[in-house]
Amino acid sequence: MISQALSLSQLSHAWPNRPALFDITRLTVSQGEHLFIQGPSGCGKSTLLSLLAGVQPPQSGVCEVLGFNMAALSPVQRDRLRGEHMGVVFQQFNLLPYLDVQSNALLPTRLFASRAKASAAHWGSPLQQAKALADRLKLPPQVWHQPVHQLSVGQQQRVAAVRALMGSPRLLIADEPTSALDDDNQMEFIDLLLDTAQQQNASVVMVSHNARLASRFHQVFQMRAGGSA
Amino acid sequence: MRLWLSMAWHSAWSRRFALLLVMLSVSVSVLILLGVQQLREDARRSFSHALSGVDLIVGPRGSATELMLYSVFQIGRPSRNMGFAGFEEIQRMPQVRWAVPIQLGDTYQGYPVLGTKAVLFKEFKSQGRGLEWAQGRAFGNPSEQPQAMSEVVLGAEVAQRFGHQAGDLLVLTHGTGGGPEDTDHDDHPLVVVGVLKPTGAPIDRTVLINLEGFEAMHQGWGMGISPKSLKSAAAALPQTLDVNALQPVSLSAVWVGLHNRADVFSVRRKIESMNRDPLMAVLPGVALDELWQVVKVVENSLVLVGFMVAVSAMLGVAAVLLVAMAGRRKELAILRAMGAAPRALLGFVLLESVLVCLVGIVCGYIASQSLMWAAQDMLRTGFGVMVQPGWPSTDSLLSLGGLFVVSVLASLLPAWRAYRLSLMDGLHPPSV
Repeated sequence: MISQALSLSQLSHAWPNRPALFDITRLTVSQGEHLFIQGPSGCGKSTLLSLLAGVQPPQSGVCEVLGFNMAALSPVQRDRLRGEHMGVVFQQFNLLPYLDVQSNALLPTRLFASRAKASAAHWGSPLQQAKALADRLKLPPQVWHQPVHQLSVGQQQRVAAVRALMGSPRLLIADEPTSALDDDNQMEFIDLLLDTAQQQNASVVMVSHNARLASRFHQVFQMRAGGSA
Repeated sequence: MRLWLSMAWHSAWSRRFALLLVMLSVSVSVLILLGVQQLREDARRSFSHALSGVDLIVGPRGSATELMLYSVFQIGRPSRNMGFAGFEEIQRMPQVRWAVPIQLGDTYQGYPVLGTKAVLFKEFKSQGRGLEWAQGRAFGNPSEQPQAMSEVVLGAEVAQRFGHQAGDLLVLTHGTGGGPEDTDHDDHPLVVVGVLKPTGAPIDRTVLINLEGFEAMHQGWGMGISPKSLKSAAAALPQTLDVNALQPVSLSAVWVGLHNRADVFSVRRKIESMNRDPLMAVLPGVALDELWQVVKVVENSLVLVGFMVAVSAMLGVAAVLLVAMAGRRKELAILRAMGAAPRALLGFVLLESVLVCLVGIVCGYIASQSLMWAAQDMLRTGFGVMVQPGWPSTDSLLSLGGLFVVSVLASLLPAWRAYRLSLMDGLHPPSV
C-alpha cells in the first residue's frame, strides 16, 4: 500500500503572463494524515486544491496524489481517480437540490461501482454505510428523506461530509467547509469530520481562514501571496 | 446510464415550469408544421377525389381546365355547348353504366342551377361517399309524372342559406340575373322536394332540377330574352308541353360512369373520335390534380412558413436552455467534484434538452392528430377536405425527423456551454 497520500515537489503554478501564483518546494502527507492549508485570499489555495483533485493538470513540478503522478494522467483518468478515491466538500451548496438527502448521500456509490463495492464490503450496503456515517456525524435521522432545501446549513454540510466519505475514499478535499457555520458548530463539525475520516484511514486536506481549527490537524501548510513556505 | 437518466429526470422536474413552456413551444410549432403539411396533403387528395364516382367528364373540345371549372365547380360558363345527340350516343355505349347530362346557365339567388337527371343522385360520389338526404327525395321522372318538371332538389348550403325546406316554392333566374329585362322565370315557380346532406363538394352550392324542367323554363326564349318581353312570341307559345319534346338541343357537359374503370381510356378515345361535333373526355381525378398545381406555390410557402416557425421555436428552446445554464453552474461543479467528466456533463445536459424536444414533438404530433380527428366532420362538410388522422405520412415523418435533427443541434448549444463551463469553473463556480 502506498503510504503517501500527497507528495509534491517543485510544484508551481502561474496564470498566463503573471508571476507564479505559488511555488511549493516540498510537501508530503502520509496516508491517514490530515493537512491544514492556510493563506490569504488569492494565494492560490483553490488552485492548489484543483490540482490535487485533478481538475487541472500541474504546470511544472511533481504532483503525486495517492501514488499517481497527476501530470501523467489524462483528464478522464484524473476525473476517474477523483471519483473513485476522493471526496470533496465545498464551502456550501454541496447538494443537488433536486435529490433528497439519501440520494445525495448515495450518489458517489451510484456513479462509481468501486465505491459501492467498498461500501458493501465494510458495511453491508451503501445505505448502511450512509446511515452509520450520518449517525457518527450527528445528522438527525428524520432529515433523511427531506428535500435538501429544508435542511440547515450545518445539516447540509454534514450530508456533504457523509457523501464525501461514502465508499471509503483515501483522500478528502475540503474547501472552507466550515465558513458558513457559526463558531461553535465549526469546531464540532471539524472534530467529527476528522474523527470519521481517521476511522476510515482517509487523509483530509482542508483549506480554511480560521486558524483556530489548525490545532486539530497533523500538519499545517502556510501559503503566502506570490510564494510559499 | 440509468443513473444519468434518473438524474436528468429529477433535475428537469425541479425546473418543470420553464421546461414545460419550452416543450409547449416545440409542440405548438410541430402542430403548425404538421397541420399545414397534412391539411395540404389531405386537401389535395380530397380535391382530386371531389368527384370520385365519375369516370369521365365529357364536353365540347377545348380547355380541360375550363370544362372542369364550369362542370364541377360551376365557376365560369361554357363558351360552347355539345349536342344532345352526343349524350345519347355515349349513353348507348356498352361500357357506359350511366351517363348524366349537365345543363348550366340559370341561377338561384346567385347559386348555380344544374339541370340533370335523377340518376345523378344515385351515382354521384365525393370522397367515395354517395349522396344522402337531409329531407325529402329526388325529383321524379317527368316522362312518368309531368309534375316532376317543376321539382327541385337543393344542396345543403343553398337550403341552409335561405332556410328552405321541402315544400317551399322558389323562382329561378335566367343567367346570372341583373340584366336590363325581367329575367326571372317567375312564370315557372318550382317546388322543393328534397334537400341533400352536406358533402363538402361543390354540389352543396347547387340547385338541381330535371333536365326537362330546365328546358321547359326556356321554351320561347331567344338570345337570352324572355318570351314575356316578346309579347307576340309568348302568345304563340303552346300552353301544354309534351314532355318527350322537351329534350334540349345542346348540353353543357356529360358525366359518365363506366362498368369497369379499366375501360376509361378506350371509352375516351371512342368519345373523342365520334363523328359529330368535336368532343373531349376528361378524367376528373387527373384534371383536378392538374388544377391543383395552380395553388402549389401557396401551398409550398405555407409549408415553408411552418418550417420557419418550427426552427424559430427550436432556436428559442436553445436560447432558454442556454440562459438556464448559468443557474446550473453549481450543479455542474458538484457533479464534477464527484468525478463526472466534462463529456459526461455534456451528455447529461444534451439528454435533457433532447428529451424535452422529443416529448414536445410527440405531444405536437398527438395534438395535431387529435385536433384533426375532432375536426374531421367539420372539415369534410365545411371545406370538402377529408382528413386521415393516424400514422404520419412519409412527408410528415420526414419533417418530424428533420425537426428532431434540428432540435438535437439546438440542444447541442446548451450542452456545449455546460461542457465549457465545467472545464472553466472546475470545482469553483462563481458563487450564486
